[in-house]
Amino acid sequence: MTAVDAPGPAVAPDDWAAPSLSDAEYRWCARRYRFRTVRRAAGFLSPYLITWGVFLAIPVVWGIFLSFNQGGLIKGDPRVFVGFENWTRTVSDSELRTAVKNTSIYVVIAIAVVFTLAIFLASLLNHYKKGSNFYKVALYFPLLAPPILGAIMWFFMVNFDFGILNLLKRSVFGGDGVAFLGDNPHALLTIVAVEVWRGLGFWVLFYLAGLQSVPEELQAAARIDGAGKWRRFRRITVPTLRPLLLFALVIAVIFNFQLFDSVQVLTDGGPRLGTATVVWFIHKRLFKFQDTGLAYASSIGLLIVVLVLTGLSFWLLGKRRQRET
Amino acid sequence: MTTDSATLTEAPPPEETTEADAMAARLAEAGRAKRLNDRTRKILAYAILTLFVVIAIGPAFYLISPAFRDSVSLFTYPPEWIPSEPTLHNYRFLFSSTSYVRWAINTLIFAGCTTILTLITNSMAGYAFARLRFPGRNVLFFVILATLMVPVAAVLAPTYLTVNFIGDLPVIGDWIDIDTYLGLILPSAVSPLGVFMMRQFIETLPDGLYEAARLDGAGEWRIFTKIVLPLIKPALVVLGIFVFMLTWASYLWPLVAATGNDYRVLTVGIASLKGQFVTDWGVLAAASLLTIVPVTIIFLFFQKWFVQASMAGALKQ
Repeated sequence: MTAVDAPGPAVAPDDWAAPSLSDAEYRWCARRYRFRTVRRAAGFLSPYLITWGVFLAIPVVWGIFLSFNQGGLIKGDPRVFVGFENWTRTVSDSELRTAVKNTSIYVVIAIAVVFTLAIFLASLLNHYKKGSNFYKVALYFPLLAPPILGAIMWFFMVNFDFGILNLLKRSVFGGDGVAFLGDNPHALLTIVAVEVWRGLGFWVLFYLAGLQSVPEELQAAARIDGAGKWRRFRRITVPTLRPLLLFALVIAVIFNFQLFDSVQVLTDGGPRLGTATVVWFIHKRLFKFQDTGLAYASSIGLLIVVLVLTGLSFWLLGKRRQRET
Repeated sequence: MTTDSATLTEAPPPEETTEADAMAARLAEAGRAKRLNDRTRKILAYAILTLFVVIAIGPAFYLISPAFRDSVSLFTYPPEWIPSEPTLHNYRFLFSSTSYVRWAINTLIFAGCTTILTLITNSMAGYAFARLRFPGRNVLFFVILATLMVPVAAVLAPTYLTVNFIGDLPVIGDWIDIDTYLGLILPSAVSPLGVFMMRQFIETLPDGLYEAARLDGAGEWRIFTKIVLPLIKPALVVLGIFVFMLTWASYLWPLVAATGNDYRVLTVGIASLKGQFVTDWGVLAAASLLTIVPVTIIFLFFQKWFVQASMAGALKQ
């Protein structure tokens, strides 16, 4: 290494001779070198590769195979190969269709609400810096509790008899309480509210980081040129946030599409499938051991949706980086 | 801005004063109006922020009262916020008639082991991808990274079957099976996020370090343990917190993989307290509260790390 880098005559000194290797010797050395590098790398990689391979890679491949089968999860229910039957049924099954519809409605409303609130609160925090640390920490709080516990807290909040929302409603407007989890549009909206409550702190911090990357001088220059608040927001803040926004959108869709925990705890898909989601459907079909084939196929469907969205998010990220450099 | 023009048009300058004085007076007037306007805006902004803070932390406080009351007294109207006779009955029930302690220990084992295992395997793999040259490196890294977003639900059945299959094997099946700790832990420690993070972080370390160590005759393993690991400690802490938080909060896999009470974790256990038809509200509140309080205290001490860790998950670039 050092001999090559050292300044001096480009020709080799007289007493230096290149080792003469025959072709076979050379190949042997190369092979030995390659073997060593592989062995060294394998030492470092194998602990991860083995766990990853056995518990993630193999299950993915196995899952694709399973999507053409029915049964096989428990002893009394042997696996049967059914070809494309599961896949054709994913299109026609009414319960699955309801689940997809609910999940989509949920994803759209939840993301629209949480993003609007988060951008709003983040710009407030970006402007009013005094005490912003306290607000950041406090808003982050709901993320500490597991989704299950967040859902249970809201289970108390929305209770028909003693939930604070119903107590307030009864004392202010009078009349009966609202069955937040027992009626149909309400139940899904309650789930939306719970998840927005949980995710808000994260997205506030996310957008705050984005807003803080908007150069201060740009804002000042625009102000001097007489651009009003709204103009500055439209022309400076939004363009700076746009790549971030698209990336965040894809990520949020991926995560929200997997809604399960709060549904399972609060409503168990009810009332009348009003809050049935895709993952809830998969879990229910698999472990109530009924019609597992459809669950196998929809698992892979979920996987495909998520992978496509992931690809999209990486593409967006790449585009953003390209623009930055 | 609008107030400026309003004050300008509305106050004609008195004739005695000079032009400059009038200008100064008008500016002062405009400044006062703007300040006032700014102050109302500021109050409004802080009011909104405070409202959202109340919404964020309020639900947790709403558990306190039910946790120390008889479940029956919850249903009185008008509500009795401060219990006339506070009781620890719910907690006694929690410790004597449910396996809360067992669930808590299981959760610590589950999340702790998953975190340690993840840190070990991911830092080693990250080192290999960052520093070692071997054939197929980029392809392998890409294949691993492609599984970054695979949802738990999408591989739920095959993972269950895999663990079940291993459980039927001799010897190893005693350790890894449905309803074992390892069966719970290993499938939770597969996410490539940490490998990616570690690789990025190790790549930023200066090359000179390795060269110096190599000249001194240190092997790869020695370089990794003595030089790289101490230097990536901050990244390990962030990844560790992230993994721990994610794991102890996870629900779907523990719900499926630990069906018996012996290996049940807190999330599944507490969810099981909420009965299908009848719920003992007091016990449910007590259990939830007891679970949140320690986490909150830890969080308040290490909040900076926590926030960084949560961002690491989404913003790692």
